[in-house]
Amino acid sequence: MPLFGAAVLFGVARLTARINEHDRSSVLGVLAVATLLLTLAVAVWATTNATRVAWSWWGPVLRPSVTVTDLARIMIVLVPVIAIPVVLYTASSMQGDAGLPRLLALLVAFCGAMELLVIAADLLTLLIGWELVGATSWALIGYEWRDATHPRAALDAFITTRVGDLGLYLAAAALFGATGSLDFVAMVDLHGTALTVVVAGILLAAAAKSAQLPFSPWLFSAMAGPTPASALLHSATMVAAGAYLLAHLSPFLSAATWFGPVTVTLGLATALAGGIVALLQPDLKRALAASTSAQYGLMLVAIGAGVPAAAAAHLVAHAAFKALLFLGAGVVFHAAGTLDLDRLRLGSALPRVARLFGVGTLALAAVPPLGGAFSKEQVLAAAGHGPGSGTLLVVGVLIAGFLSAMYAGRLQLLVFGNGDAPPTREPVQGPSHSPSRTEISSVAVLAVISIVLGLLWLPSGSRLLERTSGSTLAPGSWWFFIASIATIIIAAIADWTLWRRGALYAFGLRDVTRAQVADWLGIPALARVVIVRPVLQLADFLATFDKHVVDAGVRGAVRITTIISHVFAWWAERGLDWIISTIAHSTQWAAGASSGIDDHGIDAGVERIAQGVGALGEDSRQLQTGLTHQYYTILAVGIVVILVVVSLSRFMRGFAFGQ
Amino acid sequence: MLTAAIFLPLLGAIIILLMPAGRERLLRGVAAATAFIPLCISAIAWHRFHGDVVTGLSSGVATGFDQVESASWIPTLGARYVVGLDGISLPLVAMTALLFLAAIVYPIDYRGRPKAYFALFLFLESVSLGVFLALDLLLFYVFWDLSLVGMYFLIGVWGHGDEARRAALKFFLYTLVGSLAMLLAILVLYLHSAPEAGQRTFDMAQLIRIHPLDGSGLAATLTFIGFALGFAIKTPLVPFHTWLPPAHVDAPAPASTILAGVLLKMGTYGFVRILLSMMPATFQRFALPLGILAIVSIIYGALVALAQPNLKRRIAYTSVNHMGYAVLGIAAAGALATGEGAARILALTGATVEMVAHGLITGALFLITGSIWQRAETYEIADLGGLARRAPILTGLTAIAVFASLGLPGLAGFVAEFQIFVGTYAVFPWLAALGLFGIIITAALFLHLLQRVFLGQMPERWASWRELEPIELVALTALLVLVIMIGIAPAPLLSVIDAGVRPILGGR
Repeated sequence: MPLFGAAVLFGVARLTARINEHDRSSVLGVLAVATLLLTLAVAVWATTNATRVAWSWWGPVLRPSVTVTDLARIMIVLVPVIAIPVVLYTASSMQGDAGLPRLLALLVAFCGAMELLVIAADLLTLLIGWELVGATSWALIGYEWRDATHPRAALDAFITTRVGDLGLYLAAAALFGATGSLDFVAMVDLHGTALTVVVAGILLAAAAKSAQLPFSPWLFSAMAGPTPASALLHSATMVAAGAYLLAHLSPFLSAATWFGPVTVTLGLATALAGGIVALLQPDLKRALAASTSAQYGLMLVAIGAGVPAAAAAHLVAHAAFKALLFLGAGVVFHAAGTLDLDRLRLGSALPRVARLFGVGTLALAAVPPLGGAFSKEQVLAAAGHGPGSGTLLVVGVLIAGFLSAMYAGRLQLLVFGNGDAPPTREPVQGPSHSPSRTEISSVAVLAVISIVLGLLWLPSGSRLLERTSGSTLAPGSWWFFIASIATIIIAAIADWTLWRRGALYAFGLRDVTRAQVADWLGIPALARVVIVRPVLQLADFLATFDKHVVDAGVRGAVRITTIISHVFAWWAERGLDWIISTIAHSTQWAAGASSGIDDHGIDAGVERIAQGVGALGEDSRQLQTGLTHQYYTILAVGIVVILVVVSLSRFMRGFAFGQ
Repeated sequence: MLTAAIFLPLLGAIIILLMPAGRERLLRGVAAATAFIPLCISAIAWHRFHGDVVTGLSSGVATGFDQVESASWIPTLGARYVVGLDGISLPLVAMTALLFLAAIVYPIDYRGRPKAYFALFLFLESVSLGVFLALDLLLFYVFWDLSLVGMYFLIGVWGHGDEARRAALKFFLYTLVGSLAMLLAILVLYLHSAPEAGQRTFDMAQLIRIHPLDGSGLAATLTFIGFALGFAIKTPLVPFHTWLPPAHVDAPAPASTILAGVLLKMGTYGFVRILLSMMPATFQRFALPLGILAIVSIIYGALVALAQPNLKRRIAYTSVNHMGYAVLGIAAAGALATGEGAARILALTGATVEMVAHGLITGALFLITGSIWQRAETYEIADLGGLARRAPILTGLTAIAVFASLGLPGLAGFVAEFQIFVGTYAVFPWLAALGLFGIIITAALFLHLLQRVFLGQMPERWASWRELEPIELVALTALLVLVIMIGIAPAPLLSVIDAGVRPILGGR
């Protein structure tokens, strides 16, 4: 276990160290994959040897620690399993790219941070992994930094998710305040306000990371990253962190009675909104991104309904098919140079990719016997029979399922369909780049995983899932199964009909309407108007305020002091005189910049200070009645001290300006 | 030995003054060699430090201080030359020594006066170390005021921009007002230091033990305000901060590094060493107002920084923000007489780590602005861009510093801020929650800075931008390696600080 995190980080270090020696992508790729294989090996070993390890390098009070329990067993294996084909694909598809070493190192570091998050046993460790995942995603999204739009998108994504991170800070603080510990286990002792704050904080963090409403739009910004980064970010890392955290901690979180209903509402709302957005998106990657939000919404529904195991199943299935779809999108972009769904009809150009992509879309549509169908079935069962279930919820999940099936079919048809329904605009002419064998194999590996996950349908499969995750699934029912098959069939018919009429791309809607809805129902625009712009304006206002008002207050205070001193004592006049002469001298100095500071000016200034302070001493002495001799001495010492300062500064002046 | 750390740089300064002028490299070598000595001494002191020391002085005066050295100074006043350290000052001393070395070797334009430049720097190092090591209030005050003088000349003579001298004067007068308020407070405290007609004393260990002037009386209140004003100006807390931005913008970069890294810490150090330790009951009454001032500094500093188009001004305002975190932690630690012990220890530990972390991180950031000025003679963010094309190493190091400053885990800033938030929440939940917004704004402003200066399009005029020179690289690396080490394995630092924090909070 202690090797675990170290192995990952060490791997990253080695990888970075090698960057300059080998610019051959194959070597780097092999190295990165080897690191991940090592991680995988340790992860598999750790699933059966779960001990708790504390991070003794931390302080005497806080001890971050890690352990592998329940869902963590599934996640630590899932991360490297998904990452390996993605990294292979990266090394192959970006061959010769000067930034490849950085990209590979970042991808591996991304996984390392995610693994740390997964095995965290307390909120501090979690927060460390959590924020490192966010920072690595920033670097990945801004990978092509020469184009200023990419770092800007990275900034958007980072700031949005960091708003959620505040929730974790708050949760950690409240947990420590209430129990004196940051350990997850300490959450059982929570009640009252502390419980509310901890649960709300964790929910906020998870919602932001898993791109739930209203945070969903950051996933669109994240599209600026290279495709492999998206593939990883949407499947086993980053976005997965939110749902994973909620599922992992749901035994503690559900102590707050409102946790279930709120999570279900949030999840369902995102699932439905995300479905609509995905359906209307004109861009392949963005459609996939919206679908990610929607699918994580379904996971939240399962968690809120009290069946985290169903969410875990869907998380795993989704990771496999979504990574597959993104890598497919990468191939498409490489070949066609565009992701505009209106210009892609690549079925005959890329037949193998089309079939592999088809596995992904079928899984997304939840067509049995694929793993994606099983997990969606479990979510439905959770909605119908879980502790927090309801009829309305079942209907909601069925609608969300219908939307998934419909946009999955739409993507498949628009990207890989053939001439039946020609695009409204000029399609791209033939592939400019055909995918390499490694690229195809990477996609194929993910397709195989998606198919193999179909084994979960077997009773032994679901028992394995229940045993590993340490929680139970909700009982399914035939009615649910039939209902979801029916929705898939309706969706397929709808897709096909629209496709034949050539309306599948635009649905006959006006472009403006479509664009607004497709851009997350206008949330980003709203955020700009309601949050970003006011904050920037406030900042500008405060900066002006700071410059002109606060500082003017200081200047005013100086003036008032001067006036008061004028009233109080006879030397005030000379003091004022001194200030004026100093200002005059300052101007003089500025004029005589080349010849150094005017001796007379500073000398006179310092002497005046001395006189002023001396007089001040005299004054305060006169004000006192019944002085003891000690008191007198102290005042004298005070003056001496200042005189020492003054004479020393004159000495300084001697060598600083004397030459 | 600590005495040597204080006075050897002064000796070095004198030697430099006696050396022939004009040989810049040799002067720099001598200055660097001299500045290396306090660093070595602080390493030895760290090694010899024992957290559980109760008595350090052979004369039988019990102190919470280690490695105490003393000599007679002004016996009739009860003022002695006493230096020593504890878990709070030791990390600050080590950080100070390192920052001075990095600042001294960092190349800038010496304006034809390298001798005076290096001599002043060494003089400033002497008195800065003196402030953190002094265990006698009068001695503390002397060092404190001398530090103003040293910085005044560094900004005034080697500063750039048209306003350097004005900025220097403003800095000097403003902070002088603060230190005069502090001097009066010191005198009042001294006058109360012998309730039964005995010998009055400036001895800090003694004052910490007997709390001569504590509670809610008028004298205590006024004394507290006097000290607090001095420290708040120095730290600086909003609204006493307006001397800071001009001083930073016009100061040469190494002086900014020292100003932000070392001189600001004197303010927060004073809060801990004097107000929290000597007047705990009065502190308790003022903890909430102080915490509110800290929150205002955090939010206000971050927002104003966000709006700054000038690189150095932006970093200067983030200092207001970060020092606000430190004061927040200190305020929380002193807010209660009993209870929430673990949380308050966490808050004060975090505040102390923040002092060290901010010193290293912001020190590095200001050195980086120096490198940029040396090459571009501009601090306007809008003028720069895409520098990563020409200077990948500079970019990488800046990225580390920037992420450390915005509190990324695995780097030093997080260790500080996390402990401050968690510790403060138990005492002032609302303040801690409000303070969290600061980390969003700093994240935005720092990433925006990184993006605008180093990423994106590069203006044609920087096509011949030079990458870091070896000496710059070494200085920055030294600081940032420590930032990473503290971030990953803070235990060595935290256990030292813990040894300093517990006596302060435990003795109540």
